[in-house]
Amino acid sequence: MTPQTQELIRNCLVGATLLPLLSSAVLILIGKRWLGRCVSSWGATLAMGASMAMAIIALAAWMRAIHPQPILWQKNWIPIPGNDTGWLHLGLLADSLTVVLMVMVSGISFLVHLYSIGYMKGDDRFERFFAYLSLFTFSMLGIVTAAGLTQLFVMWELVGLTSYLLIGFWHERRGPQLASKKAWVMNRIGDAGFIIGFGILFFKLSGNVLLPAAQGALSSSDSLVTMFGAIEQVLATESDAVGVTYSFTNPPLWLTAAGIALFFGAIGKSAQFPLHTWLPDAMEGPTPVSSIVHSATMVAAGVYLTARIYPILTPGAHLFVATIGLITLVMAAAMAMVMTDIKRVLAYSTLSQLGYMILALGAGAYSFALFHLVTHAFFKCCLFQCSGSIINAAHHEQDMRQYGGLGRKLPITTFCYFVCTLAIAGASIPWTVWGISGFYSKDGIIAGTVNYGHAMHEMLGIWAHLFWLGPTVVAYVTVFYMARSFSLTFLGKPRNQDLYAHAHEAPWTMLLPQLCLAAMAVLTAPFILGFWKDLIVISEPQVAWMQTAANLEHGHAMEATHGYLLHGLAWIIMLVLGIVMYLPGMAVSSHIVKIPPINLLYKWAHNKFYFDGLYDIFTVNLFKFIALIAGTFDKYIVDGQIGTIWPGLVNGPALLIKKIANGIGLFDNKVVDGMVNGAANAAQSGGQLLRNAQPGRVRVYVLLLFTAAALIAFVVLTTVTVNASQP
Amino acid sequence: MFQIGATHFVLVSIIVFAAGVATVLTKRNAIGILIGVELIINAAAINLVAFNRYVWGQGEAGPALDGQMFAIFVIVVAAAEAAIALAVFLNFYNNFSSIDVERADELKG
Repeated sequence: MTPQTQELIRNCLVGATLLPLLSSAVLILIGKRWLGRCVSSWGATLAMGASMAMAIIALAAWMRAIHPQPILWQKNWIPIPGNDTGWLHLGLLADSLTVVLMVMVSGISFLVHLYSIGYMKGDDRFERFFAYLSLFTFSMLGIVTAAGLTQLFVMWELVGLTSYLLIGFWHERRGPQLASKKAWVMNRIGDAGFIIGFGILFFKLSGNVLLPAAQGALSSSDSLVTMFGAIEQVLATESDAVGVTYSFTNPPLWLTAAGIALFFGAIGKSAQFPLHTWLPDAMEGPTPVSSIVHSATMVAAGVYLTARIYPILTPGAHLFVATIGLITLVMAAAMAMVMTDIKRVLAYSTLSQLGYMILALGAGAYSFALFHLVTHAFFKCCLFQCSGSIINAAHHEQDMRQYGGLGRKLPITTFCYFVCTLAIAGASIPWTVWGISGFYSKDGIIAGTVNYGHAMHEMLGIWAHLFWLGPTVVAYVTVFYMARSFSLTFLGKPRNQDLYAHAHEAPWTMLLPQLCLAAMAVLTAPFILGFWKDLIVISEPQVAWMQTAANLEHGHAMEATHGYLLHGLAWIIMLVLGIVMYLPGMAVSSHIVKIPPINLLYKWAHNKFYFDGLYDIFTVNLFKFIALIAGTFDKYIVDGQIGTIWPGLVNGPALLIKKIANGIGLFDNKVVDGMVNGAANAAQSGGQLLRNAQPGRVRVYVLLLFTAAALIAFVVLTTVTVNASQP
Repeated sequence: MFQIGATHFVLVSIIVFAAGVATVLTKRNAIGILIGVELIINAAAINLVAFNRYVWGQGEAGPALDGQMFAIFVIVVAAAEAAIALAVFLNFYNNFSSIDVERADELKG
């Protein structure tokens, strides 16, 4: 890999990351006032397109390089106290995982921008929406390119913030308010775990928290500075001190704890059990937001983090990750089967698919987990965009029971939805290895879990089989619930004639991204599978210690493919069953859910396994109770209430000052104002008195004139007379 | 038969003056007031002529005519004053559509 190639990749990635930030800043500052709707939206979309182009160039340069090596480019950022040479770094880590995810994130974001131009048309805060969307993309790109855990955490929180802004974009309504708050709180709970894990590593590794690269070792000078190398050093030192030989297979407790704690951050962001409840509620946001949150950005961040810290996860942490993924994928699939809101069905299917990825990471199927992340991003983004087109056509009706027969009105959307249904279902041609994206990724994952199940058999006994049984069964359940939603929406007779009569296809800015994504959903897997095995792979020295992953070469996974998902055309049977059963609406299924064992399951799934209720009872009420006590203390002790014995710390002095002020006020009103007003009154009454002498009538003046003249004459004459009479 | 003297002329003058003052004071019509003013002026003129005849008396080069001269001046001034007054009334009429002096009370405080 020549220095020129390295520089090209580095510059492209930095440019692709910063361009959305720039467009977002411009839109926030002058979008509404100067740029207007058209320039703002298309400007943001084109900036995103340019970002995508740069990411593609970086990927192409990476693929063409002879021996691609991870690029670490860093600058000192924050000095670490108590460590003279230690710095927290700000920089760019570019390896195969980074360049691939850059293309995925920027590409999907570009299509979502394009889609939003049509979907958000007529919204009051149109320009602001694009600013948030670009900022959201920037923060996700920032996560993917971050060199250190510190930098990743900053971007991680920015994802949380922008998702809050986007989910609550229509904050005038109650639903989005609550949903954005819920997403925020759930993510904070996960982030608390992230901070704990970060703290353990920061303390143990003296602040060296650079992320390990996925593929290939960094050049020798760099390899020691990453977390992985640092942990190996610390383990060696501790082994000498304690006398026990620590390694990744025999780790000290703090390493397992750090891995699990960091994974809690991923639980929050990727909406895994038990913090999954925010993701279905996030449906309250505009549909473009759902489509990007559920595919490329937010939920992908958790999977990315887990994949990034994968080399430092210990076997115990792996088991924890796999268990969480297994629970999520089974539970979410059950809920997806009973929901009637189209966006909620898709939301729970996202949860289920994320469960696959997390389970795969826990089970050691590293590259197939990321493969599923990429393929899932395309078809799930497309499914959400289709649902947006349907909702747009149905005048914001989201209940599938009101749909039916829309296939005749929305041919393009129907086509896209069907293609993506096949993709998520893992459709394949029977008895061959040809299928579309979900087929390859899920088979790889199931193969990985089979291996993991065997590896864990010794430790867990019969329960270890759940690790592969779960995902295999859920793969068929996935086909069923996707077929159900397809059948309810597009096939059968129209159940709401009014809605059906007014349905119409969306504008081209919405249809074009849908078609692109549908094409990607079909093409990605066969197209990139060939080089994926070499592209996304944990480098040998890092895998060597991992017993659970040792037998997980990709060749094995691909051979195993033929044995699991392909069995007996099962997916076609499930597809047909799902379609036929829901062709007449809910008529058939409403009878089935009354059969005894099913009715209980139905009731549980329909109530989302009572998670919201449990959280309400145990967490929300607890906090409400604490808040009540704190509020009472604040109100009566600190503030104090007038008329009680204790006047309070705030109101007591206030009362005293009020009384003093009243006295001063009285003096001011009576004495000072009295003097001032007295003078004014005296002047006024004097003026009134004198005013009477000036009636403004000529005659009065003349009379006065003559009277005065007569008086003067009289005085003068009498004086003269007196003088004359005094000789 | 009694001798007509200065006293009689002064009495006439006083009557005319009083009539003029009364007119000025009672009339609301501006023309009436002007007439009253003319009466006052002419009362003064009567005095001038009368005192010239009875008090000033004879000069060395014949009878003195100073009073008569002043009377003529007074008449001239009265004529000028009438002209100005009429001009004032005209303006007054333009402003108030009336020559009632009661209307001119805008300076009243």
